[in-house]
Amino acid sequence: MLEVRGLTRRFGGLVAVNDLTFEVNEGEMIGLIGPNGSGKTTTFSMLSGALRPSSGTIAFNGERIEGLKANKVCRKGLARTFQVVQPFPDITATENVMIGAFVNTGGGRQAEAKAREELERVGLTPKADTLAKELTLLQLKRLEIAKALATEPKLLLLDEVAAGLTSTEVDVMLKLVRQLNTEGITCIIVEHVMRFVMNLSHRCIVIDFGSQIAEGTPEEVLNNPAVHAAYLGEEASIA
Amino acid sequence: MNLKMPYIRIVVIGALICLLPLVLSTFYMHIAVLVLIWAFLACAWNIIGGYAGQHSLGNGLYMGIGAYTVAYLVNRFNLTPWVGLVVAIILSAAAAAFIGWIVFRYALKGAYFALVTIALTEAAVYVVSNIPALGGAGGMQMEYRGNSLAYMQFAGQNGYFYMGVVLVVFILLLTQWYKRKRFFYQLIAVRENEDAAEALGVDTVKAKIKANVMSGVLCAVGGVFYAQYFLYVGPRSVFGEVVSVQILIYAIVGGLGTTWGPVVGAVLLVPLSEITRGQLGNSFPGSQLLLYGLVMVLTMMFMPFGIMGLADRLRQRWQHRSATPLVDSQGGEAS
Repeated sequence: MLEVRGLTRRFGGLVAVNDLTFEVNEGEMIGLIGPNGSGKTTTFSMLSGALRPSSGTIAFNGERIEGLKANKVCRKGLARTFQVVQPFPDITATENVMIGAFVNTGGGRQAEAKAREELERVGLTPKADTLAKELTLLQLKRLEIAKALATEPKLLLLDEVAAGLTSTEVDVMLKLVRQLNTEGITCIIVEHVMRFVMNLSHRCIVIDFGSQIAEGTPEEVLNNPAVHAAYLGEEASIA
Repeated sequence: MNLKMPYIRIVVIGALICLLPLVLSTFYMHIAVLVLIWAFLACAWNIIGGYAGQHSLGNGLYMGIGAYTVAYLVNRFNLTPWVGLVVAIILSAAAAAFIGWIVFRYALKGAYFALVTIALTEAAVYVVSNIPALGGAGGMQMEYRGNSLAYMQFAGQNGYFYMGVVLVVFILLLTQWYKRKRFFYQLIAVRENEDAAEALGVDTVKAKIKANVMSGVLCAVGGVFYAQYFLYVGPRSVFGEVVSVQILIYAIVGGLGTTWGPVVGAVLLVPLSEITRGQLGNSFPGSQLLLYGLVMVLTMMFMPFGIMGLADRLRQRWQHRSATPLVDSQGGEAS
């Protein structure tokens, strides 16, 4: 479904993402992990069209999408959430989600129905009419997902949806993302909360300093010495 | 039923306003027409400035295009102002689209966008002042041809007053209608968070250009009406930053991004400034500008969301007090 070849992004002299090549198949749940600053979010930004790659290609369902603007990429069925939540603060949760729903409908009423459906899906119905700026972090993270879901994505990029949440909240989020995957949405997850990635991913891609250093099932990756060295270090405490 | 309420309210209030000529004197009728002109212009600005959040300081440019187009065509070619209106709409749409395209393509935002728009409208003042065919710095008088809708001219103020009411009711209905449509939601998304809007499939550049065109065209319509009422256009009276700022003050004081805000702002401020000018204009020239400044500062300090925003907050507080307190649901349980 997604084919990334030689994806590279330079910022001046810094190579943030270096020659990244990977594939994602339909229905898969991919974990994209790596230490801070390893280029995960930059990769997401390029996949979602927020950032133009310096070189390399991205094919989504056989169609080249590198260099397309974010709104076009979204309309092709590739949606993302943001690491730092990006709500529309002064409008209600429902209206936030409606913006996404308008990708597939022009009418206000249909968009609202769709938005309420997605809020239900992420368990935010009780807050449907609350202004986004009054929501808690967990609620905002769910709102991020609902907004993205409203665009009816085939591939969903989840950027640190578990970061900053308490342990109980991580469980809630875990259940939610797994649910989305069983409903047929392919996901790529960037995450620092190891328990979250390891539990969800079918396959993990590990990057360090912008380059891929390992790929495999969560167990394989965890037992890979290169990964240990780069990322987990000695104090690897995986639940 | 509930969804129709806002439309009914607009039409009913509009109808009631039509009774005003029965009670107002000529002086106050003049002020009433001014209120309608500025309310209409402020509503037009509200689309780009309030909903899309792009604080244009140069909408006088479009108002001026409207006013000058109609004055020139009527004077030079003896055309009816209705033809002038159509030409004004086309010209202002073209100008707004072109400016929007350049400015938003290169992602000029905030203060930079404001500066470019103010520069353009100021430039227009000097360009127009130096074209003899447009009357130069002295502007153009238009001839009075008698009380007739075909000439968009009326004896006395009542005709203009009713026309103004129709225009304001029209723009309020338009705003209210768009509020439930994709277009305005996209504008609000652009205002609130552009990156998030892009990520949700909103073509932010296109949305902003469309908003600029809609706002510009409506300002031009307001300019045509202004020219027909005063039968005079001058570079500084329809172009330039003074007019441009005046347009947005009403919207800001009344409430950005609300249907009624710009109208409420104009209803309160226009009479205030006209009456101050009448009372103090000779002894204390410029007093109405001082007043505007004061009102702006007080608005920023005490009601950043304008009068409509304040009204909303008071209403919410009232409802909170009367309703049983909402139990804050634990995020974790809801799934």
